[in-house]
Amino acid sequence: MPEANLEGMIRKVADIIIGELKLEEVTAETFNPDMDLVDELGIDSMDLATIALVLQDEFKVAIDEDDYPKLKTVRLICRYIEDKLAAKH
Amino acid sequence: MKTISSLLDADWHERYRRIANLNIRSSIYDVTNRCNLRCKGCFFFSSGEHHVEEETDIRKWEAFIDHEKERGVNLAILIGGEPTLCMDRVEAFYKRIPTYCATNGLIKVSREQFPDMMVGISLWGGGEDEKILRGKDTFAISSKNYEGDPYTYYLYTVTPKQVGKTEPVIRRIAEHGLKVHLQLLSNDEGVDGFSWRAEELRDLRAEMDAMLDQYPQTVISSKYYHEVITTGMMLGRRFGWMECPSVTESMDRRQPPVRRLIRFYRWAADLKTVHRCCTSATRDCSTCKDGAAHMSWIMVNKRDHMNTTRDLQNWIEVYEMFAKLYRLIPW
Repeated sequence: MPEANLEGMIRKVADIIIGELKLEEVTAETFNPDMDLVDELGIDSMDLATIALVLQDEFKVAIDEDDYPKLKTVRLICRYIEDKLAAKH
Repeated sequence: MKTISSLLDADWHERYRRIANLNIRSSIYDVTNRCNLRCKGCFFFSSGEHHVEEETDIRKWEAFIDHEKERGVNLAILIGGEPTLCMDRVEAFYKRIPTYCATNGLIKVSREQFPDMMVGISLWGGGEDEKILRGKDTFAISSKNYEGDPYTYYLYTVTPKQVGKTEPVIRRIAEHGLKVHLQLLSNDEGVDGFSWRAEELRDLRAEMDAMLDQYPQTVISSKYYHEVITTGMMLGRRFGWMECPSVTESMDRRQPPVRRLIRFYRWAADLKTVHRCCTSATRDCSTCKDGAAHMSWIMVNKRDHMNTTRDLQNWIEVYEMFAKLYRLIPW
């Protein structure tokens, strides 16, 4: 995926997380894509399940619950979505 | 934006990391409809939850448990009836999934057969309360059966009549080399004198705190848990049906969705029927004092505890308490 597209996806995923978790004092532009979502943001599997539903709708990919442990950062989520999209084509 | 590291120092952050990735998926199983006691206030019998046809074919139990494992369950909590009346079923769980067995302790679980299975022995107070509510003083038997056992603790259900009297009970438990966790009686059968009054709950909270301070090596608990279970309040919210996390997933149609235990089910002993929640469907949720439900309530609301350092530390202490009760982390 071209770098510009990846950056766009990172901002989109960050925006979804900010919206779903109702995060304050942060924007998609200032969200650190390498921040550990569990270790720093404190999200749990129920948060991830909620976020995954929105991501599935947005990017039209299936996110297996067994894969949640891999989705540690926004950047890793984007790579996961990229792989899923590539596998579809 | 509040982050974990902005709220915690390095030591607390490490404690957080130790529990943050445990990803527990528990469910509860009625192993049998039978019991060798008939306690007043036992929700299992008072709500008629034993009126199902018990599955007796051990191969069906084994297939059922395999399916539960495939469903993602990684902690099986066995209740009843009295699970130890059906050791073959207990063994079927133990061989497949990390297992916790609740028991009245009258029958000893063989440590040759179940070397590291967590055992929780129910206890309803000192000898006199036990005689009134359960027909006998079970502690005299269970404490001999499990003396010094490193995988056993007492689940001490404190009644209103026990306020001011818990210390001797906890001391006896300590003297037998065992641990204890405290919860409160929900007076499902309306036994006279066993319903809670506000001043009793206030006094008990102070007493539970004092017991934790006095017996830190024996009491597995946290002061925040004491606060929440005695007040029914957490972060300004009141416990009840629209807050409880321990509802069977297939029966949970609450709107808006409630933060809950993922994949949680409570199965009856016919392996087909599911019960509404971890206690009785006839119980008034607004007066429910179930300890597990209250600690789970705290645990599933982690991010709501990310307001202040103290709130998050409280959350960590409750999660550690839970993890210790199932030996997911050391005592």
